[in-house]
Amino acid sequence: MGGWPLALVAILSSVVTINAATVKYDFDIGWVTANPDGMADRPTIGINGQWPIPRIEATVGDRIIVNVLNSLGNQSTSLHFHGLFMNGTTHMDGPSQVTQCAIPPGSRFTYNFTVDQPGTYWYHSHTMGQYPDGLRGPLIINDPETPFKDLYDEELVLTVSDWYHDEMPGLLKFFISRFNPTGAEPVPKSALLNETQDLHVKLQPGRRYLFRMINIGAFAGQYVWFEGHNVTILEIDGVYTRPTEASMIYLSAAQRYSFVITARDDFSANFPFMASMDTDLFDQLPEDLNWNVTGWLVYDSKKPLPEPAVLYEPFEPFDDMALLPWDNQTIFREPDQTVSLDVIMDNLGDGANYAFFNNITYTRPKVPSLYTALTAGELATNPTVYSEYSHPFILERGQVVDIIVNNLDSGKHPFHLHGHHFQSVWRSEDGAGTFQDSNITADSFARVPMRRDTIVLHPEGNVVLRFRADNPGVWVFHCHLEWHVQSGLMATFVEAPLDLQKTLKIPDDHYAACAANGVPTAGNAAGNTIDLLDLRGQNAPPDPLPSGFTPRGIVALVFSCLAGIIGIAVVAWYGFAEPVESPPPSSLLGVDGAHDAKNSVAGEPELPVDGIAPVGAAAPGTGRGVAEDEIAPLRDGHH
Amino acid sequence: MAGEDVFAVPVFLVVFRESLETVIIVSVLLAFLKQTLDGPTTRNPQAYKKLVRQVWLGTGLGLLICLAVGGGIIGAFYKLGVNRWENSEGDYEGAFCLIASVIITVVGAALLRIGKMQEKWRVKLANAMVDKPETTGGAGKWAACKRFMEKYAMFALPFITVLREGIEAIVFVAGVSFSAPAKSVPLPVVTGLLVGALVGYILYKGGSTARLQVFLVFSTCLLYLVGAGLFSRAVWSFESARWAKAIGGDAAETGAGPGSYDISKSVWHVNCCSPVANGGSGWGFLQAVFGWTNSATYGSVISYNVYWLVVIAGFLTMRFHEVKGHWPLMKPKARLGSVVEQDSGSDVVDEKGSKGGIVQTKEATG
Repeated sequence: MGGWPLALVAILSSVVTINAATVKYDFDIGWVTANPDGMADRPTIGINGQWPIPRIEATVGDRIIVNVLNSLGNQSTSLHFHGLFMNGTTHMDGPSQVTQCAIPPGSRFTYNFTVDQPGTYWYHSHTMGQYPDGLRGPLIINDPETPFKDLYDEELVLTVSDWYHDEMPGLLKFFISRFNPTGAEPVPKSALLNETQDLHVKLQPGRRYLFRMINIGAFAGQYVWFEGHNVTILEIDGVYTRPTEASMIYLSAAQRYSFVITARDDFSANFPFMASMDTDLFDQLPEDLNWNVTGWLVYDSKKPLPEPAVLYEPFEPFDDMALLPWDNQTIFREPDQTVSLDVIMDNLGDGANYAFFNNITYTRPKVPSLYTALTAGELATNPTVYSEYSHPFILERGQVVDIIVNNLDSGKHPFHLHGHHFQSVWRSEDGAGTFQDSNITADSFARVPMRRDTIVLHPEGNVVLRFRADNPGVWVFHCHLEWHVQSGLMATFVEAPLDLQKTLKIPDDHYAACAANGVPTAGNAAGNTIDLLDLRGQNAPPDPLPSGFTPRGIVALVFSCLAGIIGIAVVAWYGFAEPVESPPPSSLLGVDGAHDAKNSVAGEPELPVDGIAPVGAAAPGTGRGVAEDEIAPLRDGHH
Repeated sequence: MAGEDVFAVPVFLVVFRESLETVIIVSVLLAFLKQTLDGPTTRNPQAYKKLVRQVWLGTGLGLLICLAVGGGIIGAFYKLGVNRWENSEGDYEGAFCLIASVIITVVGAALLRIGKMQEKWRVKLANAMVDKPETTGGAGKWAACKRFMEKYAMFALPFITVLREGIEAIVFVAGVSFSAPAKSVPLPVVTGLLVGALVGYILYKGGSTARLQVFLVFSTCLLYLVGAGLFSRAVWSFESARWAKAIGGDAAETGAGPGSYDISKSVWHVNCCSPVANGGSGWGFLQAVFGWTNSATYGSVISYNVYWLVVIAGFLTMRFHEVKGHWPLMKPKARLGSVVEQDSGSDVVDEKGSKGGIVQTKEATG
């Protein structure tokens, strides 16, 4: 694998056509073979026969059209453009069964939307935990008006990610199964930089580079540091920040940082840089796992590439809460609606471990929630129609909304809200408990809160996220650890559904995807178009684990007790049973005349005296009867 | 497993049983000697003293050998077992539970007959005395041997009895104790010995055979309850071992909660009342005696019931055999029948026998 040159220039291959303000991509999504860590070939989801998949790049104000052909053959898919607001085009957001039906194999599907936000984004599959199999790539929106124009000379895109050697369907099948009762997430096999290892980034002395860094991984957060260089953060998740210097940053899955690295003034040496997977997330550390990946800032390719210095935990990455948005947007007013979500991991009746917001583990509705919103008429504002298991919250247009997330779990969770940036008005330390219990008031909230679209919630801590419901649509809020998306750590915000009904027109190819899948496109979450409040037949999670005796258990216990009692009775009966009528004593000297008379068998003396012999093989050696053998000689003279 | 840790209930029951039997046998012998040689009409102080000494000598020597052998066997078992213990605890536990259960079941049936022992021994001893003249009439090695035996009968009887009871107990304890940690063995062994001796003494002093029989039947029933529990636990342990393997490293994390059992095989699971977690205490005792588990599986429930079915069927068959003289569904065979009649007869002591002791016997074997 060693020494792949970094493809620094934008990929402007034949698939990309820049046409005035429309950027068009034809994506034929299909299987390729890849081996980015040099350890194992594996089937990987590529685009147009290539993996890593192409970067989507456009300029603020452009229209992006992505024509998708699903050539996977065995899997459906969909694309989510992570971080884009999709204002007016919520149906282009991508999560299957939320804003669209998954694109079945062989089907075509067009994403068509405009982008008004500059910054660093990415796109990935939002179907069935699929993106870690390869369908994940950068999405860059250039900004001719960037306030930082003068701070850098050149742009680079740098992804960091984790890599599995097994495909997600199999991993998920194990992950959500009774064989994984603690919900231990599969541990990646490698960390990757730009989907490879030993990456070389060529720098020219004195030049200033804007690194657009994206964690496109499935699970692992990554600590990133550059030896001999500090970074100056300019943007996070598409939000410009005041330039802020840091020596180490932490990117959870789905987070982005743009930062400037100013190249040193001389050619004298090359410098390693590191991405180190956050092993706190891993349930166990396999012995053969290298959780680090190294790249080099190469000033002179003839000079050696030094080994990175070893850093020991605890790492102290830059705290993103300290960042100030460039636009100085102040905290929104007091919320009109507060949604409080407790993060819980627990097992359900199938024995598998699920993730819960409060007591609900997200279960995909039968009808994509957006289609329910569009077809439920006035009832679209009634959360019932979306099914309690999609965990819906209805937002009115213009509301200020707080999401309080209390982490009752001992793991880190990066939470992502579709369609919005949120003001991160409060985040507690590890172990602070719930927000409600911590006596924090609005006075403690940041006046100019850091904004982004994916924030790390600390173990047993809490966050308060505030946003304005200014974007009608159906937006999910979920943990971006792909495992937890699948195990149900997701809620649905239905924002101004009545507005959607008036304005939104779903393209035919979207409906066609549903038709090809046999997914209904109207009615409530159960597909009921007549009585929208009748959710019978809806998709539901497994029943809870029985907390005590079920009827089955009671029957079993009763039968066992009965068996025991009857058994004891029989044993006692046998024990007390009167001996069989013994023959009349015919002789003082033990010859059992009566029996001999009845059964005059010659061989009789050879037979064991021990009456218990039939009971079991052990009897001759252990039974009481043996005593008689021993005593027999005492009195027995006639052998 | 606080309670279970230092006190293995099955071990206690077994040792108690065996020591009780030994005490009864010894006491019967002593009573017999007192009756025959120290009675008002039959005084023979010299012989009496000598024979009593023989009884005690035999008992003591038997006990000593048993302790030595038993200690050795159990020690060796543990040494062999412990190394492999860690790897597949469930499998070993299952295997030992199974062994213990089978031993209890098979031997339990034999033990049931002890209720009639006191009389039997009296009869036999009486016979031994009465037969003497005839016996001496014999010739050759066999006869010589017999004469020797007769001379030292009062030594040989308790010696062999104690030896056999002891070995029996050791096999028991060794088998049973592997379903429990090593440190749980000594205490029940000691208490079993003491209680057995005490109860034996009381029963002997009380002299009521009816009460003795009640007592022995009752304790055998208890033993069968233990056996049923052990059998069920054996199956449970095998399943649990497979489950621990299936979920890999998670086994330690799950404790007694979700994931500590295979939900697809669960019949009931209550998060309380675990016989192992948090000391087990009362629930551990219930497991030892009644086979309680807070997490029953199809396997453990079915095996528990099947065990009882087999035991019930076994005893019914045995009784059938005793009464009818042949096995159910089989034609009574002449030869077999004779054996049977003899067998059942060998246990039988009729009313006269139990009083007089010398009246009849049917130890027909030559």
